[in-house]
Amino acid sequence: MNGYLQVELDSLNKSEALRYMGYGSTAPDEKIMSMMNEVEKTLLQVIKPCCIYHVFDIEARENSVAVCGTALVLEGKAITEHLAGCTKCVLMAATLSAHADRVIRRYEATDMTYAVMADFLASAAVEQVCDRADEQVRKEFGEFYQTWRFSPGYGDLPLDIQGSFLDVLQAQKRIGLNATENNILTPRKSVTAVIGLSDHEIPKGRQGCTACNMKDVCQFRKRGDHCGI
Amino acid sequence: MGFRELLKEKEFIILDGAMGTMLQAKGLKMGETPEAMNIEKPEWLLDIHRRYVEAGSDVIYANTFGANRHKLAKCGYSVDKIIGEGIKLARQATEGTDTLVALDIGSIGQMLEPTGTLAFEEAYDIFKEMVIAGKEADVVVFETMTDLYELKAAILAAKENSDLPIMCTMTFEQNMRTFTGVDISAMCLTAEGLGVDAVGVNCSLGPKELYPVVEKICQWTNLPVVVKPNAGLPDPVTNEYNCSAEEFAELAKDLIPLGIKIIGGCCGTDPKYIACLKEMLADKKAVQRNVHIPAVCCSATDVVVIDQPRIIGERINPTGKKRFKQALLDGDIDYILGQAIEQINAGADILDVNVGLPAIDEKAMMVRAVKALQGVVDVPLQLDSTIPEVMETALRVYNGKPIVNSVNAEEKSLNTVLPLVKKYGAAVVGLTLDENGIPKTADERFKLAKKILDRAMAIGIRREDVYIDCLTLTASAEQENVMQTVNAVRRVKEELGLRTVLGVSNISFGLPSREIVNHNFLMMCLTSGLDLPIMNPNIDSMTATVRAYKLLTNIDKNSVDFIAHYGADTSSPTPKAEKKSEMDLPYAIENGLKGEGAEITAKLLETTDAMVIINEMLVPALDKAGEQFEKGKIFLPQLIQTAGVAQACFEVIKQKMLAEGGNSVSKGKIILATVKGDIHDIGKNIVKVLLENYGYDVIDLGKDVDYQTVVDAAIENDVHLVGLSALMTTTLVSMEETIKLLRANNVDCKIMVGGAVVTPDYAEQIGADFYSKDAKQSVDIARQVFGN
Repeated sequence: MNGYLQVELDSLNKSEALRYMGYGSTAPDEKIMSMMNEVEKTLLQVIKPCCIYHVFDIEARENSVAVCGTALVLEGKAITEHLAGCTKCVLMAATLSAHADRVIRRYEATDMTYAVMADFLASAAVEQVCDRADEQVRKEFGEFYQTWRFSPGYGDLPLDIQGSFLDVLQAQKRIGLNATENNILTPRKSVTAVIGLSDHEIPKGRQGCTACNMKDVCQFRKRGDHCGI
Repeated sequence: MGFRELLKEKEFIILDGAMGTMLQAKGLKMGETPEAMNIEKPEWLLDIHRRYVEAGSDVIYANTFGANRHKLAKCGYSVDKIIGEGIKLARQATEGTDTLVALDIGSIGQMLEPTGTLAFEEAYDIFKEMVIAGKEADVVVFETMTDLYELKAAILAAKENSDLPIMCTMTFEQNMRTFTGVDISAMCLTAEGLGVDAVGVNCSLGPKELYPVVEKICQWTNLPVVVKPNAGLPDPVTNEYNCSAEEFAELAKDLIPLGIKIIGGCCGTDPKYIACLKEMLADKKAVQRNVHIPAVCCSATDVVVIDQPRIIGERINPTGKKRFKQALLDGDIDYILGQAIEQINAGADILDVNVGLPAIDEKAMMVRAVKALQGVVDVPLQLDSTIPEVMETALRVYNGKPIVNSVNAEEKSLNTVLPLVKKYGAAVVGLTLDENGIPKTADERFKLAKKILDRAMAIGIRREDVYIDCLTLTASAEQENVMQTVNAVRRVKEELGLRTVLGVSNISFGLPSREIVNHNFLMMCLTSGLDLPIMNPNIDSMTATVRAYKLLTNIDKNSVDFIAHYGADTSSPTPKAEKKSEMDLPYAIENGLKGEGAEITAKLLETTDAMVIINEMLVPALDKAGEQFEKGKIFLPQLIQTAGVAQACFEVIKQKMLAEGGNSVSKGKIILATVKGDIHDIGKNIVKVLLENYGYDVIDLGKDVDYQTVVDAAIENDVHLVGLSALMTTTLVSMEETIKLLRANNVDCKIMVGGAVVTPDYAEQIGADFYSKDAKQSVDIARQVFGN
C-alpha cells in the first residue's frame, strides 16, 4: 500500500492556532480575528498540502521494532511500547510545501504579528493534513485498530532516523521533503509519524505527556493544557 | 562518437530506463543506499546496464544518482570510490558497443537556504566533488531536480570543473511547477543561459501527463529537449505503474511533433520500455524547432517578458539616502527587504539592487542582499554595481536570469562586463557613454548603443538580452538636450529593435515640483519607446503614468489593470482610521495602529525631545502591554502588535536623528542568534522586535549560526549581552558549545538563553547568565544588564 494524498484544505484550524498562541477561554478580539483570516487566506492560496504513507509488516524485538522489507529499525522503549501488539505499521510523511516557509519569511520581513500567526496557523494546518492521512488509513485498514501518530524524536525514538525514514518513503522525490544535517524537516511545516495497526483493541492511556520528551518544558502543561497530540 | 556528435548525427538519442526499481527487484531494501551496490553487488549493475544496452540505449546512466557526500555518509563509502566504480561498471557493460556513459547526479537531499540550511556555495562544492570523481564519463546529467538554485550550483560546478557536455532535467508536477514552485520557462532560460547542452524533464508523471510540460519546454528553449517520463502514474493500491511498455512508446510518439530529441524512461520503466521506444522511433524524424525567445528576465518562480513597459524599482540604492546608508552600515537586511516588498506592492515588476557604500564590504553585502531578497520576493532582480567582482559574485548567487546594470561603451567596461553577462546567461543594460563621457546628441548615443550591441553579439550574447539606457540629463542644467535622450530612445527602439531602459527621476533635479516634471517626462519617453523605466514606484503619479500609458496604448485590455487600481470600488479591508486628533501615542500602541503611531510620533518630534518620547511614552506603553501579557490579559499576537507600532515610531525617530546628524538613541547593543543547526527562528525574531522597541540595538546573526560567528560579532561590535535561542533538544548542544567558545575567548559579555526546550536548570548547567522564558523577560534582562 503506497498512498499519496493530495489534501485539499478549505479552511485552516484557526482555533487550534489561537490555542497554541495562548488563547484559552479568552476569545480574540475582532482585529486579531480579521488578521488571522487574512493570514489563513494567504496560506491557503499558496500551500500544496500533501501526504504519503506506506504500510509495512513489523517485527518486535527486545527494545526495538524492525520495519520489514526496509533497512529501518525503530529503536527505543517508547516506540516498542507504542507498537506493542501491532503486526503492521504505517509510516507517513506530510508537508505543506516550501511555499508555507516563504509566506512566513515574507511576513517576518514586514510584520512580525502576521509572521507569528502564519507560523502557528501553518503548524495547525500540518496537523490537519496528518488527520486526513489518519482517516485514510482508517478507511483502508478498517479491520485494524490503529494507534495515535508517533513521531521521531518523541520519547527515546531517536530523531536521527529522520533521514532513513524519508528514504524508505522516497519522500524527497515524491513530496519534496528533506531533513537537514540536524534532522530538522524541511520544508519546515512537515511531519513524519508512525501509526501502529493491531488486530486487538489498543489500551487507552498509552498516549500522553509521559512519553513526551518535552514534558518538562511544555508551555501547554504549565498552564494545565495539552498540546492535542 | 561523443555526446555532442551524437546530437548532430542521430535523429533521436535513446537513454536508459529506471535504476532504482530494477535494483529493488534484485533485492535492494527500501531505504538502503542504492549506490553502495556498485561495491557490494557489481554483478547486479553489470546485468542491469547490459540489458539497457541490448535494448538500444545510446546513453546509459551510471549508478551514481545519490553518490554525494551527504547521502553517502550513512554507508561509509567515499564519493570518489562509489562514482569511480559506478562509471567503471557502466563502461564495462558498454564494451564493444557505441553506447555512452553518463555521470548521473540527482538532488543532494538537503534543501538549500533559506528554507534549508545548505549554503549555495556548499552545494557547489558537493557537486564539484562528484563531477571531478566522474571525469571518465561521456556526459554529465543532472536530474530529478526540484530547486532551480540547486540546479544552478550543479551546472556551475560542472562547467567550471569539467569539459563534459551537460544535460539537465527537472521534475514538474501537474500544476506545471516543481515542488518548490520553479516555473518551466525559468528553468529553460536559466539553464540555457548557463550553457548546458540539453534541457528537459524526468520522473514526475507519465508520457501522457507530461505532454503540456514538454510542450512548454519546447516553446522556451532552442536546445535539444530531453524527456524521461515514469511508466505512467502509480496505482494507489498496488503501487504498480499503469502504463505498459507498448503504451509508453505509443504515448511517447505524441511528443515527437513537439520537437523532442532525447528520450528514455524513469520510475517503473525497464529494458522492455526502451526496446519499445527504439522500435517506435526507428522510422521517425525529429522535428526541428526554431522558437523565438523574447527579451525576458526571471527569478525561479516569475518570468517577466519585456513585451510592454515594466517598472524597475529603484529604491534599493543608498545614493542620497541617509537611512538606507545606515541600514547598510548596520547590516540591517530587514530594512532592505521592507523596501523591496513596499515597491512590489506599489507595482514594481523588477527590482534594482545596489548596495554600494565605500564604508562596507560591498561584495559580502551584495551576496547577503541577493540571497535574502530571493528568499522572500518573486520578482526578478537587476544587479547593480560598478565593481566587476561584486557583479560576478551577485551573478553566481542569483537564482534565475537577472539583468546586469550595467556595461558602457568604454573598452574596459566592454571587456570585463560582457564576458560575465555571457557566462551567467544574464541580460544587460548598456549605457550610451564611453571614455569621452555622455555624447550630447541622439545620433552619437545611438552609435554607442550600436557598438555595445555589436560587441555583445560578438561574444554570443543574444540581441534580445541587450537593453539600452540612453541616459537622462537634468533639465535644469541641460534643458536643450532633453529631447536628445527622448529621440535616442526612439531610434534605439525602432532602428536597432532593442529594449530600452531609463532612469527617469534625474530629469527634474534642481527643479521645484519634481513630481510633475518626472511623470510628464516618463510619459514622453514611454510614447517614444521606453520599455523599462527605472523609477520610484511608491510615488503614485509615476506608477499611474505607466498604468495610464498601458491603458491608452491598448496593452491593458479592457482597462482591467487600471480599473483594479483606480476603480470606484475603494473599499479596503483595513479597519477604518480612527479620529486622529483625539488619539495619543499610548492609545495607538495599545491598539496596534502602526501608521497612526508613526504620524503622531512625527508630530511630537516637532515639539518634544526624542528621548522624552521614548522614555515617557513608548516604553511605558510597552511596559503596560508586557505586564498584561504576563497576567494573561493579552496574548502573543497583541504583544507583538504593540511592539510593531513602537517599531514604526522608532523608525520615525531614527530617520529624524539621522537627518539631523544627531546621536543614536541606542540603550545598548545586543547580539541575537539561533544556534548552529537550528532553523526555528521565529522565537528569536519576536525577542528582537521587543528589544528593539525598548531602544536596544540588536545585531541579528540569523539562524543556524556558527559558534565562531557569535564570538567574532561580539568582539567586533563590543557587545555585552548575547542572546541565544534553540528550539530542538538536538541543537541544545550547539548552545552549550557557543557559550563555551565565548568564555574561552574571554568575551566580556553576559549570556541569556531561551527557546522551547531550554529550562532554567539547563541554562545554569551550560553556563548561561540568564534564562529567559519569553520575549518580555529578555527585555527585563537587558534592563538589568545595561542598568537602564
